[in-house]
Amino acid sequence: MKKTPLLEVKDLDVRFAVRGGDLTALRGISFSLDKGERLGLVGESGAGKSVAAFSILNLVARPGYIAGGQILFEGRDLAAMSERELRKIRGNRIAMIFQDPMMTLNPVLSIGTQMVEAIKAHRRISTKAARDIALDRLRKVQIPSPEKRLDQYPHELSGGMRQRVIIAVALLLDPEIIIADEPTTALDVTIQAEIMALLLELCEQDNVALMLITHDLGVVSQVTQRMLVMYSGRIIEQGPTREIINDAQHPYTQGLINALPQMGEPGARLFQIPGSMPSLKNVPTGCPFHPRCRFATDQCRQTMPEYVRSGNVDVACYEVSNLIEQEKHMQEAGS
Amino acid sequence: MTSPLIDIRGLEKQFDLSGSFLEQVSFKGGRFQRKQEAVHAINGVDLQVHKGEALCVVGESGCGKSTVARTVMGLLSPTAGEVHYDGQRIDNLKGREVLPYRRKMQMIFQNPYASLNPRMTIQQTLEEPIRFHRPDLARKEVRDKVQEVMQSVGIDPDWGSRFGHEFSGGQRQRIAIARALAVDPEFIVADEPISALDVSIQAQVLNLLMDAQDTRNLTYLFITHDLAVVEHFGTRVAVMYLGRVCELADTKTLFAEPRHPYTQALLSAIPRLEDDRPNYIKLQGEVPTPVNLPSGCVFHGRCPYANERCRQEVPRLIATDSGTRVACHAVEEGRL
Repeated sequence: MKKTPLLEVKDLDVRFAVRGGDLTALRGISFSLDKGERLGLVGESGAGKSVAAFSILNLVARPGYIAGGQILFEGRDLAAMSERELRKIRGNRIAMIFQDPMMTLNPVLSIGTQMVEAIKAHRRISTKAARDIALDRLRKVQIPSPEKRLDQYPHELSGGMRQRVIIAVALLLDPEIIIADEPTTALDVTIQAEIMALLLELCEQDNVALMLITHDLGVVSQVTQRMLVMYSGRIIEQGPTREIINDAQHPYTQGLINALPQMGEPGARLFQIPGSMPSLKNVPTGCPFHPRCRFATDQCRQTMPEYVRSGNVDVACYEVSNLIEQEKHMQEAGS
Repeated sequence: MTSPLIDIRGLEKQFDLSGSFLEQVSFKGGRFQRKQEAVHAINGVDLQVHKGEALCVVGESGCGKSTVARTVMGLLSPTAGEVHYDGQRIDNLKGREVLPYRRKMQMIFQNPYASLNPRMTIQQTLEEPIRFHRPDLARKEVRDKVQEVMQSVGIDPDWGSRFGHEFSGGQRQRIAIARALAVDPEFIVADEPISALDVSIQAQVLNLLMDAQDTRNLTYLFITHDLAVVEHFGTRVAVMYLGRVCELADTKTLFAEPRHPYTQALLSAIPRLEDDRPNYIKLQGEVPTPVNLPSGCVFHGRCPYANERCRQEVPRLIATDSGTRVACHAVEEGRL
């Protein structure tokens, strides 16, 4: 029997109710996350990766709403849960790290006060005990002189330090899952490397599952075991990270990887995908990628392809499924 | 060797933090004190940009790379030092004398959402610099020129009557590039031109910049924090740290054989597709504030190879066998 995953998202649809009808931000999103697993969510701006992250904790702000599907966390559906029950899970069992640390930290409260408050919201313990937990987490994220930091305010810390504090806050209540939305995008490369290494180390140490949302394929390949590629609100490819990075199946994923300067010959023209991601207001019919795809056929223009399996990777692309069919025929003809 | 197109000599730039005289004065311990503070953004930079090359300046936030770009363009005046264009000193020019250089040197900015006037159509945006710099051209000629640059950056000339907000980020950056190209410049300063764009769009814009360089014989000063882009795009690279150049080399040499400890750390921090784990050289501490610069080598506080000399004496850029120029005592002494 297959063991149930820690988190399972099934056929999730998220829409935004705006004047002139609903816009579909996520369509038929399905994936799972096992205990201690690290999953990367990749895509360009507008692909829906942040909406996906927010909707897991049922945090999509109005006019957005979950229009269908399930988000099963340990068998319970977060999409159908009451706000009170959700609050017991948010920040406690599932923690979130955002891109901009100043958005998460309250500028008028000291670091210690904010951390203690977060603990006491979920546990009935003394302030002293809560402070000890806070101190322990600050040590864990390797902040120099952690005792001093407890009494400092966010503006007194550098960007890298603040992001460490945020990670410490995420770890306060020993969550099962950390959802990190572009945690290092605002930071310099050397700091980014440090923060990523730290996050990876902490997740491995405590067997915490990580959902990492990023546009940086290099980071995904360094940190995650499996990855999802999103385009225009859909998952177009998912599977083991190494397999996708080395041998991407979907033309969009291939294009994304080949467009990286590190893939091209220095000085030569880079591979480029023509056009740009469609806006939610006019998502093309059929496969949303077809206007930019060099393999597009009439079939692609009319219907959205189903997922097919290639190796351990699920891909939604007619070109790939046709190739697989052809191979099958060849093998049958051969035998 | 031919003379460089751009010659930056001993450039320094400080930004005053302390305000007016009255704000500087304080009364402490029974006496008046006057305290002046400044951000030392650039502290003695010498760089040459040769015709036809793309010199990339890289570094992390606060290293002074954008200040160098702006000072070269004349948007900021240097506190000390000189900027020469094709043998002519340009940082002290006044009034009308600057105009010819304004045409020859153009700039592309990071954020295409901020660099286009929201109240002007694309046609107006592109016509304005041509009209200003080439008053001799007839209306028809101006329009032809606009058509030509729009086509060359891949924007449909029929879209001229649209406004900036009707375009995506990548398209806006193309328009910003078209505006720079409209006056037939020789030299372009691009300050993080692709940092605000998505990966697939970055490739489009980089290709466009390279095509423009080929067809129009341009010289670039390219400011970026993204080393992967530098490796692809740059002819030579200058690595900056706290307002100083710490290493200057051909792109290939720099990536194959980084000499300065900071360059080594910076290169190791690029997340590479082939890596299974973060794999980088860890530096101690953080970048110090440019208000109180460290003595000696600005990098000494974070450098694993620092010794007493590094703490006291400022290292100069010294040529090595491979042609790389490095400002590091450890390299000079053969310790590294």
